[in-house]
Amino acid sequence: MGGATAWGFTAPPAKGFPRPDLARIIFFHLPCAIGSTLFLTFAAYASLRYLLDKKGDWDVRASSAMEMGLVLSILTLLTGMLFARVQWGAWWDWQEVRMTSFLLVFLIVAAYFALRSSFGDRTKGAQVSAIYVMAALLPCFLLIFVAPRLPQFQSLHPDVIGKGGFDPTYNSIFLSTLTLVVIGCVWIYRLRVRAGKLEIDLENLSAKLADRNRPSAPRVVEPVPLSPER
Amino acid sequence: MSSSWRKEISALFVKEVQSELRGRSGLLNSLLFSLVTVVAVSLATFGHSISATFAAGMIWVALLFASSVALPRCFTLEEEQGTGDLLRLLARPHAVFWGKALYNLLLIFLVALVLGGLFLALVEIRGDRPVIPWLFLLSLLGAAGALAGAVTLCGALVAQAANRATLAGTISLPLLLPVLFLGVNGTRAGLGDGVLETGLTASIGLLCYGVASLAIGPYLFAAVWKH
Repeated sequence: MGGATAWGFTAPPAKGFPRPDLARIIFFHLPCAIGSTLFLTFAAYASLRYLLDKKGDWDVRASSAMEMGLVLSILTLLTGMLFARVQWGAWWDWQEVRMTSFLLVFLIVAAYFALRSSFGDRTKGAQVSAIYVMAALLPCFLLIFVAPRLPQFQSLHPDVIGKGGFDPTYNSIFLSTLTLVVIGCVWIYRLRVRAGKLEIDLENLSAKLADRNRPSAPRVVEPVPLSPER
Repeated sequence: MSSSWRKEISALFVKEVQSELRGRSGLLNSLLFSLVTVVAVSLATFGHSISATFAAGMIWVALLFASSVALPRCFTLEEEQGTGDLLRLLARPHAVFWGKALYNLLLIFLVALVLGGLFLALVEIRGDRPVIPWLFLLSLLGAAGALAGAVTLCGALVAQAANRATLAGTISLPLLLPVLFLGVNGTRAGLGDGVLETGLTASIGLLCYGVASLAIGPYLFAAVWKH
């Protein structure tokens, strides 16, 4: 990642930006946005699998993917704010449809954790959270893919990728950072899934131990004579 | 639609209307909320005229909060009164969703009509052209459809949660905010601001969003309602 960052500084100033020399943050901003979308989509797939199979592993995968999506969406917003300050002179612009729509995506993802934490029963919480993710898929896709392309909303984001305006050097660096960010996030995600499964195992073990320590009825039932032969 | 489905859905719808007429809390609260919003806007603007875009934004904010407060009650009340299990035995999940969503659609459309009417009557709205009633009504109908589908599902999701009253707003508002994107464009065009074609497209988009959420809703609802 350090090498890719250093490589980024060797790239020529980007075309199509008000401050071309300070546009290099897109090497991290754009991969974070793409990574966040990928994890949210995978979370919806994992939630669907959980609803169909009812296996706890899929719930752990879905919640871990949502966590990664949340972290990446926060990074996208933070790097986007830095980018906006440098390029447009303001930390936030409510007219900028991409910024606003991604903020709404972040709010939808954050609400998932509010919902999940409100259920004491893990199975019930998993079930409800999975349905929420499925319900949130339509508005999230509308916000990420449709809203920024509607003609009535103006975007300050330069469409350098769509118009093929990226310098070839930029393309190479961008693809490298994208690959690195995705690989790094997948590695963290897999660790989180393992930790989540261990948490469930630990909970089950604690429940078994609690059952074992609970005073129970004697195991051997002695016959009681009914006739008075003493 | 077969007659058994129609019977179940209409029975659920009538039950909801009768419950509302008995208590009147949801409708009265929403209507009062609408009135207070209009009074607050009039006071805050010192009686000066406001632009149609600003009025459309205010109408939508009021509608969002009114619906996120009133609509999820139809499921949380079932759990509080202990009638949820009986409903699970008597009706199929799709019918329950449709009955309650139709009731919510009616409620939010009534509130939207009253809110829009109060805005037009009490607040001086400044637009580029006169109000287009049919477009204004179309945007409100789209609003009712989009809000009803999403909030009915959210109500079912939070019904068994510990802090359901707060949680209903927390999870339904982010899901409803994308609707705001489309809704304000439609309503402001209806009130006389912005491009007419854009407003019409936005209102139709809003209706499509409502239809999509009402179509997907029963399947997701069935998964949570059975458990």
